[in-house]
Amino acid sequence: MATNALELSHIDAYYGDSHVLHDVSFSCGEARLLGLLGRNGAGKSTCMNVTIGLLAPRRGQVSIFGTPVAGLSPEQISAQGVALVPQGRRIFKSLTVRENLVVAAQKPRDGKHAPWTTETVFAMFPRLEERRNQIAAHLSGGEQQMLAIGRALMGNPRVLLMDEPSEGLAPQIVHEVMNTIRKLKESGLSIVLVEQNPTLVFDVADDIVILNTGRVAVVSTPAALQEGNVDLTQHLGVF
Amino acid sequence: MTFWLLLTVNSITFGSLLFLLAAGFSLIFGLMRIPNLTHGSLFMLGAYFGATFVGGMLGMMFNFWVAAVMAALLVAAFGAVIERLLLRRLPGQQMAQVLVTLGISFIVADFCLMVWGGDPVAVATPDTLVGSVRLGPMIFPIYRIAVIGIAVVVAIALWLLLDRTRLGAMIRAGVDDPDMARVVGIRVSRLFTIVFALGAGIAAFAGVIGGPILTVYPGLDQYMLPLALVVVILGGSGSLLGSVVGSLIIGVLYNFGQALLPELAYFVLFLPMVLVLLLRPQGLFGRFIP
Ligand SMILES: Nc1ncnc2c1ncn2[C@@H]1O[C@H](COP(=O)(O)OP(=O)(O)O)[C@@H](O)[C@H]1O
Ligand SMILES: [Mg+2]
Repeated sequence: MATNALELSHIDAYYGDSHVLHDVSFSCGEARLLGLLGRNGAGKSTCMNVTIGLLAPRRGQVSIFGTPVAGLSPEQISAQGVALVPQGRRIFKSLTVRENLVVAAQKPRDGKHAPWTTETVFAMFPRLEERRNQIAAHLSGGEQQMLAIGRALMGNPRVLLMDEPSEGLAPQIVHEVMNTIRKLKESGLSIVLVEQNPTLVFDVADDIVILNTGRVAVVSTPAALQEGNVDLTQHLGVF
Repeated sequence: MTFWLLLTVNSITFGSLLFLLAAGFSLIFGLMRIPNLTHGSLFMLGAYFGATFVGGMLGMMFNFWVAAVMAALLVAAFGAVIERLLLRRLPGQQMAQVLVTLGISFIVADFCLMVWGGDPVAVATPDTLVGSVRLGPMIFPIYRIAVIGIAVVVAIALWLLLDRTRLGAMIRAGVDDPDMARVVGIRVSRLFTIVFALGAGIAAFAGVIGGPILTVYPGLDQYMLPLALVVVILGGSGSLLGSVVGSLIIGVLYNFGQALLPELAYFVLFLPMVLVLLLRPQGLFGRFIP
């Protein structure tokens, strides 16, 4: 069996005394796109925090292409080729657009993919190039999301984590972002896409994991879920 | 006429020294949010080191500039140790940081008293800069003009470092959102050590440069620290431009105040600080509200 790009196994995670993730296990295969769904508060962002090293799990292991990383610092996990487009974008507001990109630059760790540079990011998001010397705080929400994606790509990751990239964006911009995600997937990147809205994810995902109150409730595929074998409203609310 | 001109030159020279002191203080407070009360001590320690190296007290006499750089490096290393071993353990606890840095300043003061004694130590003006230049009817002391030039060079170098390099952008990213900076691979904790060491090194450098003007004596630390505080409160913490403007204002107020209204010198000095705190708490150019 080929090694998974990302694997969480039996993760228990806490914020202080509050037990947020319960025995969570899921994986994302190489060059695949895993849709991670769940209601607000289900623990999706916590899974991202655990993967990137912002929150050390109390139990369980996280592996990146077979390398165990649980307990390592975010800097070290980033060096393993994991990048995060965080919920709420969290771009560096006082830096210029170009600076947001260059501070995140890392060399690729395999010769496989053409490395991302400011030039290739600007080629993908021409609007960012127009605003390259503007302070990032002055960008629109959509532009900030593009910058957050571009910044993650500058790390030349093997695994890209995207936490609700469509949140708070106009439908037209959401459409653009989804197109970008599709392109990245075609380039061979392994992606975990967190969303609350299943219809967006069913479109692009190979596999689906649904979290419910910190536990894995469903492991399936978009096709199977769309056949209606699982009561989605039970886990996701009504759409 | 000459009196006013000399007073102005002295004001700007003193402002330049204050800038060198306050720039590091402002950087550390503005970027890392650490109120570093050892900053005056680092200045004094640098001055004593400089005096020792220049005066040949180690059996060897060093060139003034070599001595200044050596003192800066030594104190920068000391600053890095303070940051790594102590302040690192107190993230976000400003009261604890105040107490620890205040405690270190007492230790440094006692150390200096033990090593260099209670008498003032003079630092010789570098040979090439002794004397005055005559410009028409006016006479300027060369060294004081040189201090201004040095401050300008340091200001430009700091600006380039923070604003025009990747390292500077990484430092600012670490200030904007430390967790996110780590997520994109920036080693924030190492950067903060660098910033602290840099601030400490510039303070020590300022101490040596100020030596020929101020002489070095016990209490120099507690004389300089409040001035740095006023500069940073006035100019705004974390802002290089704020440090420049704040230093010049305080340099002028301090010198003119002492010359013209000696009884009210401190009132003149602290009044603008009170006004700024009331009307613009983040300082003239500050980004943050402390
Ligand atoms: N920093 C935090 N401290 C304490 N509790 C938190 C923190 N972040 C999230 N939580 C709690 O953990 C649970 C999961 O949150 P989160 O992972 O953000 O959910 P999701 O991303 O699926 O909306 C929620 O109950 C939330 O209130
Ligand atoms: Mg979330």
